[in-house]
Amino acid sequence: MNDEGQGLVDWAWVTGNLGLIAYYAWQNLYLALVPVLIGLAVSVPLGIACARWGWLYPPVLGVTSVLYALPALALFALMIAWAGLTEAIVIVPLTLYSLALLIPGVVDGLRAVPEPVRQSATAMGFGPVRRLVQVELPLAIPVVIAGLRVATVSSISLVSVGQLMGVGGLGYFFTDGEQRDFPTEVYVGIGLIVILAFAADALLVLLRWSLTPWLRAREAAA
Amino acid sequence: MITFEGVTKRYPGGVVAVDGLDLEVPAGQTMVLVGPSGCGKTTSLRMVNRMVDPTAGRILLGGRDVRGSAPAELRRGIGYVIQQAGLFPHRTVEDNIATVPMLTGWKKGRARGRARELMDLVGLDRQMARRYPHQLSGGQQQRVGVARALAADPPVLLMDEPFSAVDPIIRASLQDELLRIQAELHKTIVLVTHDVEEAIKVGDQVAVFRPGGKLAQVAPPERLLGSPADDYVEDFLGFDRGIRRLSFFGSAGLDLDVEAIASAEATVGMARQQAKDAGQPWLLVVSPQRLPRGWVAAADLETYADGTALGDVPLSPCGHTFRAGADSLRAALDATVLSRTGRAVGVDARGRVVGVTSYEKLRAAIQVAEEASESAGARGRLAGGTRETGHAGGAGAAAGGNGAAAWPGPVPGESGGTA
Repeated sequence: MNDEGQGLVDWAWVTGNLGLIAYYAWQNLYLALVPVLIGLAVSVPLGIACARWGWLYPPVLGVTSVLYALPALALFALMIAWAGLTEAIVIVPLTLYSLALLIPGVVDGLRAVPEPVRQSATAMGFGPVRRLVQVELPLAIPVVIAGLRVATVSSISLVSVGQLMGVGGLGYFFTDGEQRDFPTEVYVGIGLIVILAFAADALLVLLRWSLTPWLRAREAAA
Repeated sequence: MITFEGVTKRYPGGVVAVDGLDLEVPAGQTMVLVGPSGCGKTTSLRMVNRMVDPTAGRILLGGRDVRGSAPAELRRGIGYVIQQAGLFPHRTVEDNIATVPMLTGWKKGRARGRARELMDLVGLDRQMARRYPHQLSGGQQQRVGVARALAADPPVLLMDEPFSAVDPIIRASLQDELLRIQAELHKTIVLVTHDVEEAIKVGDQVAVFRPGGKLAQVAPPERLLGSPADDYVEDFLGFDRGIRRLSFFGSAGLDLDVEAIASAEATVGMARQQAKDAGQPWLLVVSPQRLPRGWVAAADLETYADGTALGDVPLSPCGHTFRAGADSLRAALDATVLSRTGRAVGVDARGRVVGVTSYEKLRAAIQVAEEASESAGARGRLAGGTRETGHAGGAGAAAGGNGAAAWPGPVPGESGGTA
C-alpha cells in the first residue's frame, strides 16, 4: 500500500476505509462530548453553589485543579483496575478534567453580573431562583461557553490517548499506523481530530451567538 | 402613605445606620432623603421594600407593616429606581420595562403594550423598544429605569440616587421630567440623594439626615431654606440659601414699572419728556407689537434732535427677560442683577413687554413673599405640619429658578424630554 510514496496521504486507502474512519471519528466524538456534557451538568449546580457560598469555591477549585494536573495516561490506567476495559476509562477522567475548566466559567460568569443588575432584580420582586434563572444565568452564558469551548476542544484531542489502553477513538489510527509503518493513518487521525475540534468549536460559537442576542448588537457596533 | 415609626438599623459589630427614625411620607408627595454618605438615607429607603429589615421599630405602608408581606410580593408593588439604572443588559428596552407586569403574570403582548405606553410617558422614542440597554445613552437608560419602575403602576416609588450618574445637563432634564411625571401621576415617592440642590428642586418635603443615621430636619424646601433647624442643616444647605429660596416665590406679586416703557415710534422729544416726568434714568424702547428692542439712557437722549424717531437711536441690548408671573422672584432678581441698567424686562407668554423691574420693587416683593410664607408656615405647623399650599406651584417655580444657568428657556412643564 505504501510503495508509491507519492504525497503524504494515500487517498486510495482513505476512500477504501471510509467506514472504518467514520466509525472511529464517531467514537472519538462520543467519548469526548459525553464527558463535557456530564461535566457541564455537574459544573452548573456546583458553580452556582460556589458563587453563592464563596467559602466553597477555593476547596472545589483546589480539588479540580489537582485532578486536572494528573496525567491522562495514568488516570486511564488506574481506571482499568476499577472499570475494566470499557468506555468509562476515558469518559470518567475526561469528565474530571472538564470540571476544572467549566466550574470557573460558571463562577466567573455569575460573579460578572453587575451588582446594580442583581439589586434591581431583587427590588423588582424576583425571588432567588427566578433571579438566577432569568437574570444571572443568561448573563453568565458567554463566560460559561468560553470555558465549554476549551473543555470540548481539549477533550476531543485527549480521547486519542485512551488508545494506549485500547479505547481511544481516532487514536486507533495513530497506533495502527505506527505499527504498520503507514503514515497515512496517522495523518488521517490528526486531520480528523483537528476538523472535529474546529467543527465543535464553531458550533459552540454559533450556540453562543444564538443565545446572546444582546451581545450581537454590541459586536455590530464595535 | 409611608410611616417610619422609631426605626433603627444596627449592624452586627455595633454600627448604627439609622437611629430612631420617625418620618411620615404623605401619599402623593415626594419626600427627599438627603445627607452626607453614611448617614443612613439609603438604608432607610431600602427598609421600605425590605431589601433591609430594621432592628427596631416598624415601617407602615398604607397603614400595614411591611414585614407582614413576603418580600418578593411586596417589592412588585413598589417601583424602584437605582443609580446606573440597573437595567437588565440581556433584555430589550420593552422587556426591561415589562419586567414587573411579566412577573405578576401578564401576557407578553399586554406587558409590551404597557411598556410602550410608559416609553411615551418618560419621553422615549418607541423606536427604541427593541434596542438593548447598552445601545442607549446614560440619560435614556435612566428613563427606561423610571419607566420600568412605573410599569405595574405601583402607588409607591423608591429612587436611590437616580440621577447622580449622568452629567449635569441631562440630570436637570431628568429632574424636570420627574416633576412633570409626578404632576401627572401623584405617586408617593421617596428619593435619596446627596445633592441638596436636587432635594430642593424635586422634593415636596426634604428630610435632612446627619451622620449616625439621625434625622436633623424635615420641611418643605422653601421652609428649609428659610429657617434651617440648626447649624448643621444650615451648613449642609450651603451658601446663598436666601437667593435660592426665592425660587419658591412667584413673580406675580412683583409690581412692574410701566412708566419706563417708550414706543419705538415716539420721538426723542417725547421720550425726553417721559423720562423727566417719570424720573427714570433709562427707558425701555418697545416695538409696536410691544416686543422689547433695547434700553436708552435718558442722558443720551440729549444728544439727538427732538424729531428723531426713538427707533433710530442706538440702543443697549435688554439682556435676559423673565416671564412675569410665571417665573420666580429668583429669575426676576437674576435678570435684574445681570442687566447693565439694574432693571430687567418682564414679558408675557408671547414675549411682549409687561413692565420692568427695579431693585426697590424686588425688595418690596421679596418682603411681601417672606411675610406670606411665614404666616403660611405658622398655619402649617398649627395644622400638624402639613405642607403649605403656597408650594403647589413650587415644582415649576423651583425648576424655573434652578434653571437660571440655562435660562431663559421654556418653562419646565413645557420642556420636552430631549436627552
